Amino acid sequence: MAGVELLSDQGFRIDGRRPHELRKIECRLGVFRQADGSAYIEQGNTKVLAAVYGPHEVRGGRGKALHDKVVVNCQYSMATFSTGERKRRPRGDRKSQEMTMHLQQTFDATILTTLYPRSQIDIFVEVLQADGGNYCASVNAATLALIDAGIPLKDYVCASSAGFVRDTALVDMNHLEESSGGTELIIATLPKSQQIVFLEMNSRLHEDNLSAVMDRAVAGCTDVYNVLDTAVRDHVGETAAAIGGDAA
Amino acid sequence: MAAPMVKVPGQRLARKDETTKPGTGTYEQNGFIYSSLAGCVQKETSSDGSVQISVITDVQQTVVPSVEAIVTARITNVTPRFCKCSILTVGKIPLKEPFRGMIRKEDVRATEKDKVETYKCFRPGDIVVARVLSLGDSQSYLLTTAENELGVVIATSEAGASLVPISWCKMQCPRTLAEEFRKVARVQQEFLQYTDT
Repeated sequence: MAGVELLSDQGFRIDGRRPHELRKIECRLGVFRQADGSAYIEQGNTKVLAAVYGPHEVRGGRGKALHDKVVVNCQYSMATFSTGERKRRPRGDRKSQEMTMHLQQTFDATILTTLYPRSQIDIFVEVLQADGGNYCASVNAATLALIDAGIPLKDYVCASSAGFVRDTALVDMNHLEESSGGTELIIATLPKSQQIVFLEMNSRLHEDNLSAVMDRAVAGCTDVYNVLDTAVRDHVGETAAAIGGDAA
Repeated sequence: MAAPMVKVPGQRLARKDETTKPGTGTYEQNGFIYSSLAGCVQKETSSDGSVQISVITDVQQTVVPSVEAIVTARITNVTPRFCKCSILTVGKIPLKEPFRGMIRKEDVRATEKDKVETYKCFRPGDIVVARVLSLGDSQSYLLTTAENELGVVIATSEAGASLVPISWCKMQCPRTLAEEFRKVARVQQEFLQYTDT
């Protein structure tokens, strides 16, 4: 693979991780006051900010309102300074539109949409720094923001990616690994019920290896879940203490 | 802290049976009750002995108007055929932002529907208690005040004083003693208490 060795003979990846190791995840809930819910997440060098508004009355295009469930409106945008080369359009390009659609589908499946007929929930996701796994970080950030907003969810949605290099499945690909042209499988799951809400694969992979890669990605989702869960419990405990009620 | 009592979305709370029922902040799947919010569990025992399990968060509860719900609305626009209003609260829960509502002429009162003149029933700025009739078209919720308990509860006169009800269809200004027409609500005792607070 032209100079760069994605997996060394000793079993280390270019950033020093082992194949099953995630990048360091740091997250915070409730970073904005004006939004109903917000969250910030760092997965390695990928940094994403998410804000949630609603449920409120449907805005823009009155015909959009659904009589039996809420409209989930997503907007994915990448800051112009998020990539190595300065981006010209932060949103509205094909890639962002596709990402917006994917986020929408993911959260349509997770939010208990029937509780709020004829309303709208807005999810705004901004990638501040892109270093691979943008979809995954966006989903994880949006999940935290939705929980912060108090919007009823079936479960957390946790997303993770996996690739396949030298007969080994690598979890949570960074930008260098993603751009090497190999296989990438992106998965979003509901970790408690082990249901898949989103699955995407780029380039080819032999059928025999699919289950190994998928297992690695699902394991990554479970690891992500543990981190998010800790963050949410800490946050809820903190806010409960702040308002004087005890969390018990 | 009491961290184990914090429930998160997707967490299983209890098995659903005749005595345990899912409440707010929960959902039911495959015979189990799961949490849908991050918060603390609250168990409420009702009179028939069944326990309702809910998850309570510190964030303000979000509601949307549903059919048959009693809502409080401010009249914004009066035309001969209908009145437009913005819905401010659903039941006792204030909305974070108003929803649009509409009271059609024929839904203003139960009797003599065809003789209704909207401007003799509502004026812009009046606060009315109404019931959600249907979810209406995509523009707004359809409301009705065709019950004795529904109608105008707070209104100001042309002189700027707050009107006092004198009959079911009239209110009087305490300053000028001028009478104005309104579809007045016979406010029930229990509602009076919460409008005071």
